[in-house]
Amino acid sequence: MGRSARSPGVEIAMASTNPTLPISTVPIEEIPSGAPGRTFGDRMAPLVANKLALFGGVLTLGFFVVAVLGAVVLLRGDLHYLYLDQNLRGTLKHPGDGSLLGTDNLGRSMFWRLIAGTAVSLWAGIAVTAISMTIGLILGSVAGYTRGWTDRIISALIDLTWGFPLILVAVIFVGMLEPGLTAVIVAISVVNWAGYARIVRAQVLTLKERAFIEAARSLGVPTWKIILVHLVPNMLGTMLVMASYYIAVTVIAEAGMSFIGLGAQPPTPSLGQMVSEGRKFLSKDPWIVALPGVMIALLVLALNTLGDGLRDIFDPRLRRW
Amino acid sequence: MLTFIVHRAIYSVFLLFIASVVIFYGLRVAPGEVTDILTNPANRSFMVANLEEKLGLNKPLPLQYFIFMGNFLKGDPGLSLINGEPIMTMLGRATGYTLKLGLLAAILTYAIAIPLGVIAAWKRNTVFDYGASLLAVLGMGVPNFLLAIILIQEFAVKRHWFPVAGYDSWKHIILPAIVLSAEAIAINLRVVRASVLEELNRDYVRTLYAKGLQERKILWIHVLRNSLPPIIALAGVMLRTLLGYTLIVETIFRWPGLGYQLVNSVLKRDYTVAQTLAILLTLAVIFFNLLADIGQQWADPRVRQGSK
Repeated sequence: MGRSARSPGVEIAMASTNPTLPISTVPIEEIPSGAPGRTFGDRMAPLVANKLALFGGVLTLGFFVVAVLGAVVLLRGDLHYLYLDQNLRGTLKHPGDGSLLGTDNLGRSMFWRLIAGTAVSLWAGIAVTAISMTIGLILGSVAGYTRGWTDRIISALIDLTWGFPLILVAVIFVGMLEPGLTAVIVAISVVNWAGYARIVRAQVLTLKERAFIEAARSLGVPTWKIILVHLVPNMLGTMLVMASYYIAVTVIAEAGMSFIGLGAQPPTPSLGQMVSEGRKFLSKDPWIVALPGVMIALLVLALNTLGDGLRDIFDPRLRRW
Repeated sequence: MLTFIVHRAIYSVFLLFIASVVIFYGLRVAPGEVTDILTNPANRSFMVANLEEKLGLNKPLPLQYFIFMGNFLKGDPGLSLINGEPIMTMLGRATGYTLKLGLLAAILTYAIAIPLGVIAAWKRNTVFDYGASLLAVLGMGVPNFLLAIILIQEFAVKRHWFPVAGYDSWKHIILPAIVLSAEAIAINLRVVRASVLEELNRDYVRTLYAKGLQERKILWIHVLRNSLPPIIALAGVMLRTLLGYTLIVETIFRWPGLGYQLVNSVLKRDYTVAQTLAILLTLAVIFFNLLADIGQQWADPRVRQGSK
C-alpha cells in the first residue's frame, strides 16, 4: 500500500540534463541560503500566525507544566499525602466549598488528584512516544536506506503491527503482564512504532537520492553516521507532528484502559480511572466526573491542534487520513 | 488481481501463525495462574497438581501449542478453565452479540456520515457545513467512554428511555451502537466531505452540468461514485478501530460480546478462553486488512487495470 514506484533519482538526473532549463546568472554568494539560515523565530512564525495552532501550543505547554508538577508529587513519597490523604468527614465537597476543586468520595483533594492524574496520562503518552519513535526511526531508516532483505523483513514487521487495534493489543498485553501502566505503555509502543517506521521509511527512500546524501556517501561516511547525522535531522519536523498526534492517541487509549480497570491501578490516579470511580456519584455530584473528563478532552484537543499547526509548518503533505 | 489476492492470502496465514504463537506463549508465561483462582488455599499443592494434569497444563508448552491450535482449527478449542463451559458454545453466543452490535454501528456510521458529508460539501461554508464540522470535531475529540457515561446519564438514568446496561431487549443495543459509531461517523464525515469537494471541482462535473443533467443526479450518482475510493480505503482502518473499541464499549454496557468476554477472561486468567478469543479477533483483524487491500484494488479502476 502506498509505496511510491517512481525513483526521485531519475527525475533529478533528467532535470539536470534538460537543456531548456534557464541557467542561473546570479553569483553563488547572492543566492539566499535555505533552511540553515532561518532562525527558530522564523520557523515558528506560521505557528504564531495560526491562531488555533498557537492556542494548541500554549495549552499543551500548560499541560506540560502541570505534568511536571504532578511528576514531582507522584515521585516524592513525602508528597503523596497531597492526593492520597482521605478525609471521610469531608467527602464529595463542591469546588470552592472549603477546598480548591472539591473532594472525591473518599475526601481526597480533587485538585491534586487531577494534577497527578494528568501527569500519569501525559507521561505515559510521552514514554510511549519515546519508545516507539526511537524504534520507528531506527528500523524505518535502516529499511529505507539499505533496501534488500533487511527492508523486506522490516516492511513485513511493519505490515504485521501497523493498524492493529490498540485496545485489542493492550488487553492481550495486560493478559501477558498484569493490569497496570507498564502493560499499557508496552502494548501501545508495540503497535505505534510501525506508524513511525512507515513514514520514516518512505521519507528515507526519497531523501537518500538527494545530492547531500550522495556527497556524504562518496566521501566515505559510514552508513550509521549518514542515518544519524544526515537523515534523522531531516525528519525531525515530521516526527514532531506525528508525536503530537500519537501522544493524543495514547492518552485516549490509556484513559479507556484505565476506565475499564486494566490501566493504572489505584492508588496511582489516572484521568480515566477518576472518571470510572466517579461514575457512581454522577447523578448527585457530576463535577467529580466532569473535571477529569474535561481534562482528557482538553489535553487531546491541545495535542491535536498543536499537531495540525506543526504539520502546516513542517510538512503540509503529511495528511492525517 | 488474482495473484495479488493469493499473495496477500498466503501472507495473512503467515501473519496469523506468528500472532497465534505470540499470543499463546505470552498468555502462558503471564504471572498469575488459573489454578490459583480455582483452588482452595488449604490443600493447594495437591489440588494444583491434579488440576494441571486434568487441564493438560503440565505438558511442555510447544506441545500444548500444537494441541491447542489443532483443536482450534478443528473448531473445538476446548472448555473454559473457569466454569467448564464449552468455548464454542460461549463463542457462538458472543459472536452473535458482537456482530449485531458491529453491524448496527457500521450501518449507523455510513447512513449518517455519507449523506451528511455529501451535503456538507455541496453546501460548503453554510450553517449546515459548519454544523457538520462541529459534529465531526466533537465525535473525534470526546473519548468513547466519556460519551458512554454522558449518554447513560442523560438517556438511561435521568430519562429512562434506554436501559443502563445489559442485553435483554432491542433497547439495550441502541446506546452502545451510538457510542461505538461516534468516532467512525466523525472521521468518515470529514473524509466524505473532502473527497466530494475534490470531485466537485473536476471537469466532468461541469460537462454534466452543461449536458443539463439534474444536480441531484450529478451529486448522488456521479460525484458520489467517484468519491468512494478514499472511503473504502478507510473502511479497513475503521473496521479495525471499531473492533478495538468493542472491547471498551461492550465492557461499559456489559454487552456479552467477544470484547467483553475477552476482557473478562483476561482478568480471570482463563487461558483457553483468552487465547481463543485473542487469536480469533486477530484473525478478524488480518481478514479485514485483506478485504481492505482487495477492496481498494477493486474500487479504483486505475489500480484494477494496472495490475492486470
